[in-house]
Formats: sequence, C-alpha cells, structure tokens
Amino acid sequence: MSIYKTSINHPVTTSLIFVAVMIIGLFSLKQLPIDQFPEMDPPYVMVMTTYGGANASEIETNVSRLMENTLNSVDGLKEMNTISKDNISVVTMEFEWGLNLDDIVNDVRSYVDMVKDNLPDGCSTPFIFKFSSSAMPIMMYAVTANESYSGLEKIIDDDIIPQLNRVNGIGNISMSGQPTRNVYIDIEQEKLDAYGIPLELVGQAISANNLNMSSGNVKMSKEQYALQVRSEYASSAEINNIVVTTTPAGKQIFVRDIATVRDTIKDLSLDEKINGREGVRLMITKQSGANAVQICKDVRETLKEMKDNLPADINIENIYDSSEEIQNAINSLAESIMYALLFVVLVVLFFLGRWRATVIIGLTIPIALIVAFIYLLAVGSSLNIISLCSLTIAIGMVVDDAIVVLENITKHIERGSSPREAAIYATNEVWISVIATTLVIVAVFVPLTMLSGMAGILFKELGWIVTIAVCTSTTVAISLTPMLASIMLKGKNLVIENGKIVEKKAAVKKWSYENTVVRLLDKIDALYARLLRVCLNHKKLTMTGIVGFFALSLLPAILGYIGTDFMQQSDNARVNVTIELQRGTRIEETLKTARKLEARFRELIPEIEIMSTSAGTNDDASVGALFASTNNNKISMIVRCSKMYDRDRSIFEIAEVMREEMKQYPEINKYFCSTSGGMGAQSVDVEIYGYDFDQTSLLAEEIRQMINDSIQGARDAQVSREEDRAELNVKVDKEKLALHGLTSATVATYVRNRVNGMTVGFLKEDGDEYSIIVRLKEENRNSISDLENLTIPSATGAQIKLKELATIEEYWCPPQIDRRNRQRIVTVSVTPYDTSLGELAEDVKALIARNVKTTPGITVKIGGSYEDQQDTFADMGLLLALIVMLVFVVMASQFESLKKPFIIMMAVPFAISGVILALWITNTTLDMIGALGVVMLVGIVVKNGIVLVDYINLMRDRGYELNEAIALSGQSRLRPVLMTAATTILGMLPMALSRSEGSEMWIPMGIVVIGGLLVSTVVTLLVVPVLYSIMSRHGERDKEEEIRHSFIFFDMDEDSVYDSRVNK
Amino acid sequence: MKAVFIVYNQANTERVEYMLDRLGIKGFTYWEDVQGQGSVDGEPRRGTHTWPEMNSAIITVVEDEMVPELLSRIKRLDNRNKEVGVRAFVWNVEATV
Repeated sequence: MSIYKTSINHPVTTSLIFVAVMIIGLFSLKQLPIDQFPEMDPPYVMVMTTYGGANASEIETNVSRLMENTLNSVDGLKEMNTISKDNISVVTMEFEWGLNLDDIVNDVRSYVDMVKDNLPDGCSTPFIFKFSSSAMPIMMYAVTANESYSGLEKIIDDDIIPQLNRVNGIGNISMSGQPTRNVYIDIEQEKLDAYGIPLELVGQAISANNLNMSSGNVKMSKEQYALQVRSEYASSAEINNIVVTTTPAGKQIFVRDIATVRDTIKDLSLDEKINGREGVRLMITKQSGANAVQICKDVRETLKEMKDNLPADINIENIYDSSEEIQNAINSLAESIMYALLFVVLVVLFFLGRWRATVIIGLTIPIALIVAFIYLLAVGSSLNIISLCSLTIAIGMVVDDAIVVLENITKHIERGSSPREAAIYATNEVWISVIATTLVIVAVFVPLTMLSGMAGILFKELGWIVTIAVCTSTTVAISLTPMLASIMLKGKNLVIENGKIVEKKAAVKKWSYENTVVRLLDKIDALYARLLRVCLNHKKLTMTGIVGFFALSLLPAILGYIGTDFMQQSDNARVNVTIELQRGTRIEETLKTARKLEARFRELIPEIEIMSTSAGTNDDASVGALFASTNNNKISMIVRCSKMYDRDRSIFEIAEVMREEMKQYPEINKYFCSTSGGMGAQSVDVEIYGYDFDQTSLLAEEIRQMINDSIQGARDAQVSREEDRAELNVKVDKEKLALHGLTSATVATYVRNRVNGMTVGFLKEDGDEYSIIVRLKEENRNSISDLENLTIPSATGAQIKLKELATIEEYWCPPQIDRRNRQRIVTVSVTPYDTSLGELAEDVKALIARNVKTTPGITVKIGGSYEDQQDTFADMGLLLALIVMLVFVVMASQFESLKKPFIIMMAVPFAISGVILALWITNTTLDMIGALGVVMLVGIVVKNGIVLVDYINLMRDRGYELNEAIALSGQSRLRPVLMTAATTILGMLPMALSRSEGSEMWIPMGIVVIGGLLVSTVVTLLVVPVLYSIMSRHGERDKEEEIRHSFIFFDMDEDSVYDSRVNK
Repeated sequence: MKAVFIVYNQANTERVEYMLDRLGIKGFTYWEDVQGQGSVDGEPRRGTHTWPEMNSAIITVVEDEMVPELLSRIKRLDNRNKEVGVRAFVWNVEATV
C-alpha cells in the first residue's frame, strides 16, 4: 500500500500525525534559545609563562622559542602567534575549526610537561587556557556619579555587583576606572635630609603604631577579661600626630612636620570618562553555554529595580548590549520569513486562482519549517541568523512539490474524476518525479554539511535545515496534500438537464479570475510557444544571441567591477577609537587631548549618544591586562551612535569624519577607528617576517606610508609593532655600592619606595581596608635631577644621594616582540573604506610588488581576513564543483541519459551571469554568504530545466515530432516553471530588501539568488529547448524499433519449425 | 467480430506486440502475469520455485477476415521456438457497446 493511498484512506490519522508534529515543533520553538550564530568555540589555546625580571628579548630567546619548538608538533595546529614582553610569554595557537578542544588542550598539556624542565629557573609553570567566546563581555555599562563619585567603588562592589550576580548564567562582572581610596603620606625630601632620617623610618613608625593585638586574659575576682591593645587608626588624620623619631636634642618629629597626609582617591593612572562625566565601566560576561539574550534581559530588569535604592546622582547607562543586535537581527529575519510566507501564498493564489488549493499548498510551509525547529532543539542549537536565513531560503522551495502534486490532481478533477480518485491516481503519476527533484536539492545541500573550517560551522546548520525542510515538504506533498485534496477540493458539479449531462457553473463575472488572470496567463503561454517556435527555426541565431549575452554579462566581473569581501561590514552603530600620542606623553597631557577630542566629536557628530573614554593604564597586572593595551599615551574611546535607521550618515562615514578630525592634531601620532566588532572585521595584513628589528620596522613604516599616500580606499593603516618604549634606566656603580654596604637589590627597593611608594598598612573603615602609602611628594620625584637627588640610606645609616651611586639614562626598548609560526613578524594592517577587501588587497599587492625590494632574510606576505577570504572562496569553489557533479549524477540517473542533464546544466552559467549583473547593478560585493548563494543556485536553477526536459521526453515518447514536442511542452510547462521560480524569488525578496540592523550580512545572499534565478529562468526557457533540439535526433527515443529488427519470425514459412531441443 | 485470446510465455511479449503492430491491430486488453499449463505437453507456468516462468495473455477483438492471418502469424511465432510457446483461441463476440 502506497503512502498516498494510506493517507487518503485514513484522513484522521494523517492529519493527527501532522498536528502532533506541529505541536512538538512549536514546543521546540518555545524551548529554543536565541543567539547570534550557531555555537562555535573559537579554536584558540594559549600558553602563558611568566619569567620574572626578564625583558622582551630575553623572554623571546629563553622561553618563547622553547615553547614554540615543542608546541609546534601539536596536531591540527594552523597558526602559532607568540608575544614576548617584559616578564611574560604568551603562545597563542590557532587550530582548525571544528576540532575537539578538550583533546587539544590535553595534547598541549603533555607537550608543555615535556618542555617544562628545560625552561630557565625561576620560570613559573606554564599556564594553559582556552580562549572561549564566553570571555568576551556581553554587556557593558557606564556608571557615572557626581557627589558619590569617591564612594562609587564601594557602591558598585557592595550593592550593584552582588545583586547582578544573582542573575542566572552570569559569568564575571568586572569594573574598570573605579576610584580607589588611598591614604598618601607625601614626604618632602629636603625635610628628611634636614632631620637625617630615611623614608623607611617614617613608614615603620606609621606601620608600628597601627595595630590591634590581643595581650592575654585578665582574671579579676569572679570575672575574666580579654586584654587588647587597640591602637589602629580610626581616621587618617591621626597619622599626622605619629612621632617618627626623636632628635638627639630631644625634639620629637611628627609626621606632620615632614609630610602631608592626603586621604583621597588613588592617583590617576587610568582615567574613565563617560559622556565627559567621571564614571566606571562595568563589564559583564556570561557563563559558556548560557543564553546571552536572556541574561541581558534579566540584567536590564535587575538594574531597573535597583535604581531606586541607589543615590540619586548615580546614573547607569548602557554602552554595549550584545542582545540588542541579536534581538534586532532575529526580529528582522522573523519579519522576512513572514513576508516570504505571504508572498509565496499570494503567488500560489495568483497562479491557481483557488483559495482551497492555496490553503492546501500553504499548509506545507509551516509544517516544513516547524520540523526544522525540532531538528534545532535535538542538536542543541538555537534560533540564530544562520538558522533563520536557512528557513527563509527554504520557504520558496518547500511549496514546489505540493504544487506539482496538486496541479496534477486538479487536472484529473477537471477531466471529471471524483476528488478522491483524482487524488490517488494523480499522485501515483507524479510522486516519483517529485522525489527525484527533491533529491537534486538534497544533492546540493547535504555537501554543505561537510564543509570544514569556519564556513563549515556556519553552513552545517543551513545544509541540514534546508535538507530537512525539503524532505519534509516532499513527505507532506505525497501524503497530506493528496489527503486534503481528496477532502477539500470539489468535483465538477454535474447535473442532468432535459436528459443531458451538463456542468453547472456559477455565473462568470466580468472581473473574475477566469476572465483576468487566466486569460493573461493563456496569452503568455501562447506568446511563449510562438517565440519558442521561432527560436527553434533559427537555432543558430538564438544560440549566438544567448552566448553573446553570456559573454557580455561576464564583462563587469572581468573588468573588475565586482569586488570581493570576506563578510559584509555591518553598521552596528559603534566606533572604537584608539589614539596614540607621542610616546612618553604623561597621562595628564593625554587627558587634555582626550577632552578636546570628545568636545570636537560631539560638535561634529550630533548622532553620538554615548561616548566612553579611557586613557592610561591600570597598574594591576592581571590576565585581563593582557588583552587591554592602554598606556599613558593611549586613549581608547567607545562611541555609540543612534540606531542605523535614525540617522542619515552610515557609521563608516561617521568614522571618516573622526579620522579627518584627528588628522589635524599634531600631537596625535597614530589613530585607528574600528567600526566593526567581531565577525565583520575586515583587514588586509601585510606580514613582514624577519629577524632584524630595525630593518623590518623600517620596511613596515615605509609600507604604511606608501599605503597611506597612494591607495585611495585604505584606512587605519597601522603597524603592529609598538614603538620602543621610553625608559629611564638607573645604572648603578657596583663598586660604589659595595663601599656603602649596599647591593643593587637594596637600591632598587629604596628607589621603588620613594617613587612608587611603600604600602605601610591599612586604614580600616566600615570593614573595608584602604592602603596607606608612604612616598616622596610629587615635586620631589618628577624629573631626572629629582631622581638623582633621592637620598639612599647606607648600611651605616649615612645618607647618600643616588647620583653618587648611579647614573640615570634615558633609553628605548621594544615593549613587545611578536612572532608568528616561529618567526619574528611585523604586520601592517589596512581596512577598506568605500572599496572592497579584494580590490584593496590587489592594490596593496601591486604596490608592494612595485616598490618593495626585499632583502635576504625578510619575507613579505599578504594575510589578514583577505587570506581567510581566499581560503573560503577556494573551499566554495571546490564545493561548487562537487555539487555540480552530484546534481549531474542525480539527474543522469533520473533521465537515464548523459546528454539531458548536460542540457539542463546549461542553466548554471546563466545563473552566474545573473549573479554578476545583480551584484553590479546593486553595487554589492561578493562575500562568503554571497558565494554560498551561488552554490545554492546550482540546485535551484536546474529544477526549472528538469520540469521542462522531463515533459519534452514524455511528449516525444507519446509520438510527437521533436520540435512539436518541444513547443508543446514549453507551452504546458511554462506556468509551473514561472510559479516555482516566482515563489523562490519572492521568498528571498524580503531578505534582499531588508534594511534593519545586521541585515548587511544576508542581503548579498538574497541579491545573488534573485539575480541568478531571474536571469537563468528567462534564459533556461529558451536555451534548454533549443539545445535539446540541437542535441537530439529524430527518432532516437525509439529503442523498440531497433530490437524489432531482429524479429524475423513474422516472415518465415508457416510450417517451418525451429526446435532448440532438436538442434542441440 | 471475433475475440482472439492469445496466451504466451512472457519471453514473447515484445514479439507479440510487434506482431499486432504489423497487422494493424490497435485494440487489446492485456494481463501481464497469468498462470497456466498446457493440455498436452506444455510445461506448467506457475511462478513458483519449481516452475518459475509465467505467461501473459492478450485478448483482442478483430474483424472476422483478420482471424486467419493473425492465427497464421501466431503459428509462426510458436514454430520459431517451441519451448517458448504461444497459443491462441478464437471465439465469437455476441454484442458490443
């Protein structure tokens, strides 16, 4: 019993099965988390080793190279980047995407164990950690305050963070730029010298008077008391009255005599300003696997509730909210899906003209899409950009099968069958070919699931979703569709009038469907048949014309009008500005520039909503400090503008305005405006490998200059190697040291105590501790001569000036050495503006080929996201070839012929010309997503040809003459071809026209598919028939005739007998 | 009008179709799989493990004068290879709609 017969005979069971599927699907939909992309763990593993006291080049030779040589043999390693800087070596290994990171980390650990013993003494045990996307902040808040600023740290720590920590799935909350309270004892050098006491003595005095100590128990008659000395400072003012020492003359010297006690917030080294107000930046990360959208929502709500309990002047503003982008993208895609559904249903209604038929076909869409949700839940994926894009793509295709089945059923009903019989027999006629066309689609999309690399992770989901949706739609088309047709469609209303059977028809109105659309379609059919006959009579002319069109359409690509990108840059309303001033600029000067820029930006760009600036460096050395690279001469700004649709200028133009402004400041050494976060980042990197620092730095700087001067579309050209850092070097004379009973170590400590300060204890207040720091006052330690005049106590207690023991020299040293794949590297990276990545890369390549003569030992290579793009395009090319082959195999087996699939395949080159024209007209660049569209086109465009060729074959088998068969089939198959093409094109239209946030990403796919399908459909309708006619001979399909030639019995003598048994 | 019932080993299918084509006989009704056994020395055609072969049958209604020609050609087909046999039986057609 066939599936369609069973389902027609069991309508209740059939419909309930689908209802059950829908319910499970909707349940899955409710459970699905929302995310931006399918879960992907970036395949990076880092190994960090610290070696105290070594500078960058020592770290490079003694640690980094050793680690590199060993770790190089880890399986699956793609690239290895090493950073060597003071005290730290970090090896970052990039692996192929899609590998199991746990296995890799194990592997890395065993290699690290192997090398551990060879590391220099004093090295820490190498620390291995996975780079995980959950380490990136999902939200950033700016907390600003006026009066309560000094207590902000406490408020955030005690009130805000504990409450936020209660949100489910939240990872880590950290703040930066928070004011920390410190008690400073600023000592004057001259007074110390006058009294002849060293700074350390002051520290000891303060420290010794600040303690609580238990001194035993005291028993008194019946009671017992604990005895305690409580002399901890209750307030910082007490410190003033501490006696440091007594002079030989008996005079007591108080702290207030030689120093000023300041109870204040910590001296500035990292400055945070949000919209010009003092504030703190709060960064929130999530636990891995947690749902970012949900967490962001919860955090927003918690903060809103909290607001009333905080001091009134505290203002919490959002700087970055990852869920906003995700939510917007998902919403706009969901909208696209709704529109696509509407358009497809309208197309069906237009072509069929019956609402019952439209309902039956329309039902296929939700069922096919909802089954995809079950798949998503089963594999633990989410509603993300990729999965929703896949659904949009699928919408246009899932109705095709149902259309074919329903069309045939309608034909049978027109002929007078009862709907039930028609449903059974009509489905029987077409179900095999329905499955065959589905196989073609499957042949295109299943290979997508096998891609490797990052593209593989993105497209795996797409491949599965479309395959599943299309297979479901086929199942629906041969079970639910005939069942519903047998129930819902009406047979002809035949009645007997005056003994004759007549069909009872409703009165035909003037503007009815029959009179308008049907007539129009009939006219188009007839017109097409006429055109086809003309073309068949002038085959050569037609083919020349078409080939000519093909050649012409390739021109934009050949002439280089079509740019290529890796991924479209999306306008996410944010610019990250990094500014580097003249090296050695002190923090206060940097801040002045920062304030000036803030004001100018506000003036020039009224679109700015929030601007958060940080400058300077946080002196806490933590793992987090690894990722941030602010220095005293660096400013980093996050500028958030209003939403894309609320402003006229794009974020790229705004960034350009900023660049123009910053160009005018002489004090700004380098600036960099990044408009893209995360996936959309695009750059062409010129990688310069070579050991010699001076040579490579010079070459890098030359290349940067050249790119800046001669390439139009190049922006933000920057050299990766940081400029040498200015350092003051205290060079001690060891002989003199020995004379005074000192060592380098003691001198270093004394200098540190005087300049950086010595922490001599804590001031306790309300359970919190604040450091008490003793050091020289600022005027005594801010010039080289001041430093030379530092007084160092000798072993005998004598006072010696530092200049007697050492010289102070200014010198430069590289702060960091970068290596890639075990070679020193400098990169010059460039981002494109108003041009595509591919074109920029070509320009840079040409420039380097023309002007750069490499010396031995230096190699120059082009890399960056351009390299990724080249890799991905190569993958896509391979995939395209594979898919073309698979589709050919499926079709060849369907037609049992090698010629026919070849004819149908002719639609593919014209799809390419459609793609080129569409990209050219819309001025879009071809990126990874667009390339995927091209790959998909192969499956979509051949469907048209299959329908046509299948019918031509049928007509010829029925005995029609070749050209007549072609013309007739063309006329009869025009409508289904137009209909399937229209559903797919209109299904993609909302995606191509979408202008919401993040839509830049999927627009190219819409454009590519629409352009390719449009052109190839029109051309297919002419090329396929004409080629068919050229490549076929009259009568070639009469296989029977050939066999019959061997039938000789007909003419033999009636009585002659051939008996094989006798003749044996 | 006569009805000619032709039963033949399936191996003869294409030849029987060819014969009807050549004689210009258009109408027919055809059973693809029929079982049977000859009265004299025909092997059983049962589609079983023992007798795996099967017959097909065609009934065609022709004008009286066509019958001798048809039977003669059937005879030749039978003579061509006795092992793969063909038989024909003719009876009267009383009435048609």
